Amino acid sequence: MKKTFWYPIVFMSILTAIFTFILAFLDVSTADKVAANQKFDLQSKILYVFDIPLSDTSVEGVDKLFNEKISQDEEIFIYKEGSSIEGYAFPVAGSGLWGSIEAYVGISEDYTTLLGLTFITQTETPGLGGRIEEEEFLSQFRGLDVSQALEGGYVVYNPAPGGNVDAIAGATLTSKSVANFMNEDIHMFISERKGE
Amino acid sequence: MAKQSSQEIFTLGVWSDNPVFRQLIGICSALAVTNSLTNSMIMGIGLTFVTALSSFTISAIRQFTPKHIRMMVQVLIIAAYVIMVDIFLKAYLPEFSKTLGAYVGLIITNCIIMGRAEAFAQKNRPIASFLDGVANGIGYTVVLLFIAFFRELMGFGTLFGFQILGDWWTSWTIMIMPPSAFFLLAIVIWITHNIQDKKKSEVAKQ
Repeated sequence: MKKTFWYPIVFMSILTAIFTFILAFLDVSTADKVAANQKFDLQSKILYVFDIPLSDTSVEGVDKLFNEKISQDEEIFIYKEGSSIEGYAFPVAGSGLWGSIEAYVGISEDYTTLLGLTFITQTETPGLGGRIEEEEFLSQFRGLDVSQALEGGYVVYNPAPGGNVDAIAGATLTSKSVANFMNEDIHMFISERKGE
Repeated sequence: MAKQSSQEIFTLGVWSDNPVFRQLIGICSALAVTNSLTNSMIMGIGLTFVTALSSFTISAIRQFTPKHIRMMVQVLIIAAYVIMVDIFLKAYLPEFSKTLGAYVGLIITNCIIMGRAEAFAQKNRPIASFLDGVANGIGYTVVLLFIAFFRELMGFGTLFGFQILGDWWTSWTIMIMPPSAFFLLAIVIWITHNIQDKKKSEVAKQ
């Protein structure tokens, strides 16, 4: 029977159907959990960008705080304290050394000060370029004055003239590309906004 | 092939026919994830799970599988289990899913699983195949952890993310980069082959 023409086809089809069914079932049953994880991750990161202190780090606590302070306009998150707008967070992205990097930058309502930076996805070398996710690097962007920036040079590494941030030692390429795409995207965001 | 006892299966998989330093398969992932013990551990567990269950399933349906499409069947089964691991990590261990994401998908192409399916599960009973999968998975995990121990300790000064070495330790950047895995893996192969060859020659003398 195994030698017949139709047996392998039927066999493979049945097997595929069984496994597809199992996987589809698992996928559906965990979909909510996965979506909740991603939402929680993004919410905590946006709150971090605006430097809003987390009093309650549970899923519900983060969600409540997020809904209270932050509203969303397409890709841009708006931070409101009461009724006055405090700042915006917008996505920046570019290619790193190994793969694409996605991040959010927070900027004050008058576009003069960066509020913070956070990375959503990055695949840089752990321990080298991967250190862009460490507080030591990220905290440098808190309250960074960009009102005097020349020719789109919002982020400039020391010791270059006008430098305002320290690059990561041993990760020149990652540091460079982060500064490059940040400068480009910040420039685009500000000029678009001001042009409105 | 003569029927092997479960003890023999384990000795073969973990030591005398270890997939990494004896069969020299599954090396790509051994190089990629071994700069941290935690990642190696998760990878090892994932691979053990996939190898054991896919070997079991392949063996269970081996009598019904037409010979000429068996590879297709094996890949389908392996891929299904890998996706299960991926879904599980995404839902319950999102942090690890982020760092290991790409590598988990690549378990599908890990030669150990295909190797065991072809070399063992195709000819043996389901339970024996399951044990063989577990044994090979453990053999793989042990080597990964051994390499990761040195890479993480010397590269970061940490073990499982906990700081072990103090400020006096200058981290070896090379240990974090892929090349160090080549050196360490070669050393592991060298040492283990030496030990095994010595034993063999002693047996031969007697």
